[in-house]
Amino acid sequence: MTAPLLDVRDLTVRFALPKPSLFAPRPHLEAVRQVSFRLDAGKAFGIVGESGSGKTTTAMAAIRLTRASGGQVLLDGEDLLQLDDEAMRGKRRDVQLIFQDPYSSLNPRARVVDIVREPMDLMEIGTPQDRLDRVRELFELVGLRPDQLNLFPHQFSGGQRQRISIARALTTNPKLLVCDEPVSALDVAIQAQILNLLADLKDRLGLSYLFISHDLGVVRHVCDHVAVMYLGKIVESGPTDALFEAPQHPYTQALLAAAPSLARRKSRGYVRPLKVSGDPPSPINPPPGCAFAERCPRAGDICRSTPPELARSGAVDIACHFPGPPEV
Amino acid sequence: MSRLLEIDDLRVTFRTRYGEVTALDSVSLHVDAGETLGIVGESGCGKSITALSVMGLIPQPPGRIAGGAIRLQGEDIVGASPARLQALRGAEVAMIFQEPMTSLNPVFTIGSQIAEAIMLHQNVGADQAFKDAIALLDRVGIPSPDRRAHDYPHQLSGGMRQRVMIAMAVSCRPKVLIADEPTTALDVTVQAQIFDLLNEIQRDFGAAIVLITHDMGAISEMADRVAVMYAGRVIEEASADDVLDFPQHPYARGLIDCIPALGRPDHRLAEIPGVVPPLHLLGAGCAFAQRCAHRNDRCDREKPSLVNHGRHPVACHGAEESRL
Amino acid sequence: MDSQPTQPQIAAQSPAREAWIMFRRNVPAVIGVILLVLIVGATLYGSLFYQGDAFSIVWAPHEPPGVTPEFPLGTDYLGRDIVAGLLTGGGPTLAVGLAAAAITMVIGVSFGALAGFYGGWVDNLLMRITEFFQVLPALLFAMVLVTLFSPSLFTIAMAIGVVSWPQTARLTRAEFMKIRELEYVTAARAIGARNRRIIWTVILPNAAPPLIVSATLTIGVAILFEAGLSFLGLGDPNVMSWGLMIGANREYILDAWWPVTFPGLAIFFTVFAVSLIGDGLNDAFNPKLRER
Repeated sequence: MTAPLLDVRDLTVRFALPKPSLFAPRPHLEAVRQVSFRLDAGKAFGIVGESGSGKTTTAMAAIRLTRASGGQVLLDGEDLLQLDDEAMRGKRRDVQLIFQDPYSSLNPRARVVDIVREPMDLMEIGTPQDRLDRVRELFELVGLRPDQLNLFPHQFSGGQRQRISIARALTTNPKLLVCDEPVSALDVAIQAQILNLLADLKDRLGLSYLFISHDLGVVRHVCDHVAVMYLGKIVESGPTDALFEAPQHPYTQALLAAAPSLARRKSRGYVRPLKVSGDPPSPINPPPGCAFAERCPRAGDICRSTPPELARSGAVDIACHFPGPPEV
Repeated sequence: MSRLLEIDDLRVTFRTRYGEVTALDSVSLHVDAGETLGIVGESGCGKSITALSVMGLIPQPPGRIAGGAIRLQGEDIVGASPARLQALRGAEVAMIFQEPMTSLNPVFTIGSQIAEAIMLHQNVGADQAFKDAIALLDRVGIPSPDRRAHDYPHQLSGGMRQRVMIAMAVSCRPKVLIADEPTTALDVTVQAQIFDLLNEIQRDFGAAIVLITHDMGAISEMADRVAVMYAGRVIEEASADDVLDFPQHPYARGLIDCIPALGRPDHRLAEIPGVVPPLHLLGAGCAFAQRCAHRNDRCDREKPSLVNHGRHPVACHGAEESRL
Repeated sequence: MDSQPTQPQIAAQSPAREAWIMFRRNVPAVIGVILLVLIVGATLYGSLFYQGDAFSIVWAPHEPPGVTPEFPLGTDYLGRDIVAGLLTGGGPTLAVGLAAAAITMVIGVSFGALAGFYGGWVDNLLMRITEFFQVLPALLFAMVLVTLFSPSLFTIAMAIGVVSWPQTARLTRAEFMKIRELEYVTAARAIGARNRRIIWTVILPNAAPPLIVSATLTIGVAILFEAGLSFLGLGDPNVMSWGLMIGANREYILDAWWPVTFPGLAIFFTVFAVSLIGDGLNDAFNPKLRER
């Protein structure tokens, strides 16, 4: 087996919270708890989960835009968390990022040509003419016109801004592209345009994606491998087809049952087979056992006392005391 | 017999810096008791303006209802007095908004906010209203409602807040409930809970629901009938099954095909090229023509009207000429 | 591919040139420029056309305006020519206002930017210093400073700057704290930008609009402040300024309105012109307003 492009081991992110009183110990919030996964070159790895699951924090910590409090992030075998700041700045050309909100991710006071060129300016790549040529090339690659180079971000639609964001991310020929909910702020018709563009770029440029989304349909479409996160932990992880066709964890099953689908018709008397009630518990005081136990239809006593470990079960890795297909 | 809610040839215009634009153009819709009408389209298609018109909440100016009628149980509310609209809002027709945090007043407890909504329309005392509020919180599935009634909005999760909004909306048993993207800000498992709750409430109260959404998946799960809107016009209207299985308009078909499905193997998604044109640039022809793969000269010249060409009403020359 | 047919094309030009084109379209701002040019021109070159010494007693006191053709705006309580005073006093007044505003902006923006960007203990430390200056009674503190270091235009400008920067610091800090959370700042970090670059070239231009407005207001406040100090006898006695004229003649305002009113109007129009220009600059540098 070849070495993976990205190998995340036991990544942990802890945020300090304000003290409740002067002498009380400072409480911490563990947003990401011992998360491990591997991403092979040229593949897309998806992390799905609901808000508060830690999926975005995991990605941000992996590329050092959020400070990790433990673990390793090996990019081509080199631990990013051990690099000093200058060395990390140099590594930034290999890991780039696309944001969720195309309205706040572009500097409103800069022209788009400068936005896309800035990574080359910072890393002092090529002559000014080389840089401009590269920007033109990128504009064409992501489907923008060269006569739009000198416009400002607000003069573009949401979908076009996301194309600009993608062009900026590709400027330095990165190996890894982190996509943080890249289409969730867009209208459905525009979503499809951007998803197709990302799929094309992956094929043409051999890019690898770390793809964060709450939308299972999008993840299924884009990713080769998926991890489901709940309250800072991976609860199930595996090849996309296996995970979607035979989910083992009750939370994955609940997510799939909750996702709206054209196959589920009110007219045909569709009733959701698996319902979860309530909200996820607070990450400040996580329950001692399985975090999903309170909402789980299958939970037993052991689930409330002992946290399950992530272990291989068939084609997937799963953290559950009672894995298996849903009971109907 | 008259319909519960009937919108007839409604035309709404807005004054903008590009001059007066038509935000809604000959929109006709109706919904009956116990029925869910889904209105679907991209942002800017006019679905929220339709909802605000029914609530009498179009900001005037710059907005103006330039023609048509909105009949609630036979009574035309276009041009009704502000006092009459005030009496109808909440009591006969209520609305749930997209963002439950900004729709609740942060400085009052949720119990008192619901109680106030009740007292506004019903002749009950404060104590009784608060008791009713707790019963409503229980009804919408809030655990330990007598304790939760004393909470402030920020102490609740997004899903809980949306339940509170629903409790407030149904507090006076309105005949029509308008839900404008009620789950867009929520997680999928919570969205599923809210959808299930809305369906239960409908069964209990027999209310008509108008669900406004951009998501065909939500339409499939919730709606009995669907109106697809584009650039201020209804371009297709039929039962949910008819629209989802046999979409006639190329735009409706595009909206359905561009959703990455859960069970579908990997292939390229269908795209609708381009974006919704700004309202002030709508020409004489079909507003979708620029993005349509099946357009011809007639589409550029002449606006299609909503006519049944065999299957169900659709506003498309291509469907009429059977060249799609 | 998306196509957006509505956007008017803006030719590729230097940002400054484009801002100037925008600025020219803004009628109030252009009026402000004309007004300020007139005022500055009059104070710089007025003496070429109008002979007269601001300090010498040339006529009977309290000559009303329009009576004697030689002294169109009349004379003050000592019989000094008011037109000469206005022309001579304008330069120092404007200089003090500009210098004080510049000092305020430099200190205030630096403190606010660093505190707002870094947060944590840096923020704590800088904000405690800011609060210390903020709770000092401004006029009293300025008086102490001016008394300690003999009253000259420079010390007066320094004193005004030192007492007025905390407000700018707080404003800058609030803007920085808001903007540093936005994704385009994270985007700048993701492409390897250093903190210095993020502070000065990413956040500051976006924080500029309220700061520009605040700077123009500071010029006005500084001019008034200088008037206040002069009134208290702490102005530079060897330099005529509009504040000095108001201060000296205030006692007699019930007998003679003109020695106070004309310098007052001069201050009013200067502050007004500067505010119009500030608003115009703010709009000119905001790309979102360009196509309107």
